[in-house]
Amino acid sequence: MTQAAVPVVDIDGLVRDDEVHRDCYVSPAVFDLEMERIFGQAWVYVGHDSQIPEAGDYWTTLIGRESVVMTRDKKGDVHVLYNRCPHKGARIAPEGCGHVKGLFRCPYHAWTFNMDGKLRGVPYREGYEGTAFDIEDPRFSMRKVGRVANYRGFVFASLAEEGTSFESFIAGVKSSLDNFCDRAPNGTVSVAGGVFRVMQRSNWKVFFENLNDTGHPIATHESSYRAARQYSNEKLGGEMPFQLHIIDGNGAPPKFWSDLDLHAFDHGHSYMTAIFKAPDDPLSQAYFQSLAEAKGEEAAKQILSVNRHNTIIYPSCSPHTSFQQWRVIRPISPNRTLVEIFTFRLDGAPEELLQRTFIYSNVVNSPSSIVMTDDVHVYAECQKGLETQGGDWVSQHRNAGQDQPFDGADGGIIGVGSSELPIRNQFRAWHQYMSESERPGDGDAGS
Amino acid sequence: MTTPVSGTCPFVYDEIRDFLNLEARLLDQRRFDEWNALFTPEGMYWVPLADQQVDPVNHLSLVYEDAMMREVRINRLRHDRAWSQQPRSRTAHSVSCIVIEARDPDEGRVVVGSSFMMNEWRSFGLRTLAGLYTHDLLLSEDGYRIAQKRVDLIDSEGVFEPIEVFI
Repeated sequence: MTQAAVPVVDIDGLVRDDEVHRDCYVSPAVFDLEMERIFGQAWVYVGHDSQIPEAGDYWTTLIGRESVVMTRDKKGDVHVLYNRCPHKGARIAPEGCGHVKGLFRCPYHAWTFNMDGKLRGVPYREGYEGTAFDIEDPRFSMRKVGRVANYRGFVFASLAEEGTSFESFIAGVKSSLDNFCDRAPNGTVSVAGGVFRVMQRSNWKVFFENLNDTGHPIATHESSYRAARQYSNEKLGGEMPFQLHIIDGNGAPPKFWSDLDLHAFDHGHSYMTAIFKAPDDPLSQAYFQSLAEAKGEEAAKQILSVNRHNTIIYPSCSPHTSFQQWRVIRPISPNRTLVEIFTFRLDGAPEELLQRTFIYSNVVNSPSSIVMTDDVHVYAECQKGLETQGGDWVSQHRNAGQDQPFDGADGGIIGVGSSELPIRNQFRAWHQYMSESERPGDGDAGS
Repeated sequence: MTTPVSGTCPFVYDEIRDFLNLEARLLDQRRFDEWNALFTPEGMYWVPLADQQVDPVNHLSLVYEDAMMREVRINRLRHDRAWSQQPRSRTAHSVSCIVIEARDPDEGRVVVGSSFMMNEWRSFGLRTLAGLYTHDLLLSEDGYRIAQKRVDLIDSEGVFEPIEVFI
């Protein structure tokens, strides 16, 4: 037996406790191995089942390099299939969201499939008599991915048939998914308003590292928070309407960021406590009333007291529970990353709340955001710098060695808001995924 | 600036063409304050996300900016530490296929459709954005003013690198 030639990657030599080698970001061989060992194993976010409410609905996306389609069948069950015809290999579902009348029909030779991928019919049936073709043989149906989990509408899939259970995978940040939904008076959320799609000229890990990085806003976002403050001072006597308030937040002084908490968990997950206080305007009060009527005043207060900024669900997505944003990260190549941004309606909440969600997304997450553009620029600058021979190691030293086990809810590890704990934690998981013999276990974070 | 409308079709058309060309010229010369002053006080600059989007409030948009947000964007473009504007964006607009879609002489209102192409050079290279403009214009004593500028990009639902300047 011969094996395909795979470039040897010395995983152990790339990751230290407080720094990582630049090859993690720029090496095509490392990227190939990530596709196999991380995106071929981990639970990856596929979509939300509100995107496919009816039988025959579908949503196409990527798991690593694999084109997959999420479908809804007649029984209401959700499936995740490789988007490939078993006949000649054509992709069957087109890009994006859509609907078919009960079955997929390949555009090439009209093979038809049920929404669970089962082959239903082929033309020229008589031509297959006496051949090895068998309509009941699974190899002539669309292939299902290894495993699918649907938690409160959030659909994750693993290409691997065996491995860490979804419950174990999500445990540390399950409270963020719960809070995302519990904020809805009806207890459910649904995708609304379309999807933003932004291409970054940088490695996918650069984006993840930025999500809980509190060291960058005051430097990277100076142009936008200064611009907002300039307008506020010149035209509004210092008043900060909602949009300006969001932009201004990035200019908070270092102590503000240090005083936040960062929580890190197994499998690379983490979250940061919120940078914005819950607003107390008439809309927020009306929303609170709708939540209190549905769940009781105490429960509503408790739900809204869970106030978080970005949660990281490594390696594929990042929900923002307070403003109902959900960012999805798709690695394209070592230096290209597609980020898709979804917004959600809190079912049962006043419709104006969704409008505020859109305003937040337009300011922060739109391709035209005056905030994000400086992030995307700096990511690309990191990528270009890491491609040089100016140094092999990338520092993650800030507050290294100072993180502590957390005894409160969710457990895990806690660090001060300025710590690079989430980045070190991501690379612990990265190292575990990438080390063939060590799959991420179910033990304590950082063990 | 433009003179009041005479009521004859060719004359109005010429004025409108001149107005759209002037607007594009102001953007390409980074005369953003003069550009922003072309809007009515309530005027909106709107780049829808969806094809044939009807609602800018109950749906995401690529851009939906009032006078305040346009001015903040302008402030940022001029800031020394607008990192992604090093080098700054340079643009060249072309406006064509100008069509008067509706007009209400009593209110001094005219809706103008056109096609545009904007070439932009910035740190990641040269790119082209293209689509349809719909200008909702009001005649004032100072000439035409923009009640709404709608920009329907032909790839509005596609994948973008950051959009920083006005399209």
